[in-house]
Amino acid sequence: MCMAVPSLITAIDNGVATVEAFGAVRTTSLMLLADEVAVGDYVILGPGGTFAAEKVDPEMAAEALAYLTEVLATGQA
Amino acid sequence: MLPLESSIVLTLHLDEGRVGRVEIGSNRPVQASDMLNGRKPAQVLGLLPTLYSLCGTAQGLAGLEAVENAAGIIASAAQRKARRILCQVEVVAEHAASVLRDWPPLLGEAPDLAALKPLRPLIMAARKALYPAGDWAVPGGGRLAPDHEALTGIVGRLGEAVSRGDLVADRLISRIEDEDMEGFGAIPPSLMPKAGPPDLDELLAADDDGSYRAHPHCDGAVFETGPLARQSPRPLMAALMGLYGNGLMPRFSARMMEMASALREVEDLVQDLSGDSGGLPMARNDGSGLGVVDAARGLLAHRVELREGLLHAYRILAPTEWNFHPDGPLARGLMGVSGPDLEWRAALLAASLDPCVPYRIEVRSHA
Repeated sequence: MCMAVPSLITAIDNGVATVEAFGAVRTTSLMLLADEVAVGDYVILGPGGTFAAEKVDPEMAAEALAYLTEVLATGQA
Repeated sequence: MLPLESSIVLTLHLDEGRVGRVEIGSNRPVQASDMLNGRKPAQVLGLLPTLYSLCGTAQGLAGLEAVENAAGIIASAAQRKARRILCQVEVVAEHAASVLRDWPPLLGEAPDLAALKPLRPLIMAARKALYPAGDWAVPGGGRLAPDHEALTGIVGRLGEAVSRGDLVADRLISRIEDEDMEGFGAIPPSLMPKAGPPDLDELLAADDDGSYRAHPHCDGAVFETGPLARQSPRPLMAALMGLYGNGLMPRFSARMMEMASALREVEDLVQDLSGDSGGLPMARNDGSGLGVVDAARGLLAHRVELREGLLHAYRILAPTEWNFHPDGPLARGLMGVSGPDLEWRAALLAASLDPCVPYRIEVRSHA
């Protein structure tokens, strides 16, 4: 299933964001993102994680992360 | 990659230079939707487009249809039309994204990022142009208030992306012809019926352990789902399939045909779309429902049970489970293949079936 994990932007350098989700730190290009983002915002990464695909509002990100935490805890992923 | 962000590993085992076995490894969490159980429908339907963002509209619409069927809600004609527009906008955008992002690397070219960038915002813009309050996935219908000017603009911008995609497609088709690969990957066709397997509701209802969702079939047959299956009744596609079966040329051409026809359909539907207040109540709090949507990559099914108004046995079957099934069109199409550039040719076939997760190809020789 093409599940997406909202990832927290922890740094931005020259159009490339460092993002964190479930302890994993990655970098992703902001080139394809339509919205302006800043450190502290959440984004969803596109397939493969090369590009950020979408900004997610904090409430929805929190809800999705809570659900995904349950999925991980029950070993469904 | 996080455990939740699944991927596919395609391993080609060579036996005396020919592919003797195809292994498709997938860690896709087909049972993740079990965790939606016990929640309220509106909460889940709000969450689905974020959780499954690649085809978020289709996921939201499939869930919506399943919930409405379970709750005995019959959405109005205007709501159904607006939902079809949302679905087809995503189909066009996803096909165009695949053409502009995934096809150029097959030709040794860079993805067309400039043309790719506006596509995802157009999906969001279509939702807003139809449902300004953002309630497009609410059971009983949201407040539908079409902004015709905005919708016309969206159609125009999608058309621009389709035109850019045409250029990439022309080069890819030429290369396939140059390599004499028009029929590459063809197998005896086993195409998904328009409404899906006839007993899909029963099969999903009985799938407590997720084994059917991981490896779906219909009386043992593994269908190909997606543009080729949907476009196959059209005369031009029938003619192409007469020449090349379900090989690369018909599969890539079907994607382009579907992209153009979906765009035309959106253009037509927008013309006479009227508003609707929505808000139909749930007719019952207990029941079960199936929702089936033609997502860009193929048939997407959601099945739910409602118990005292809460969701149970939430099950999702995605198109990639059919097309990338160990006995599906990709695996069978690669059996017996030999010759140079095996990895590239396997990538072409995989791209023609467009999985919804990243994939990696490994070739292993066995003495």
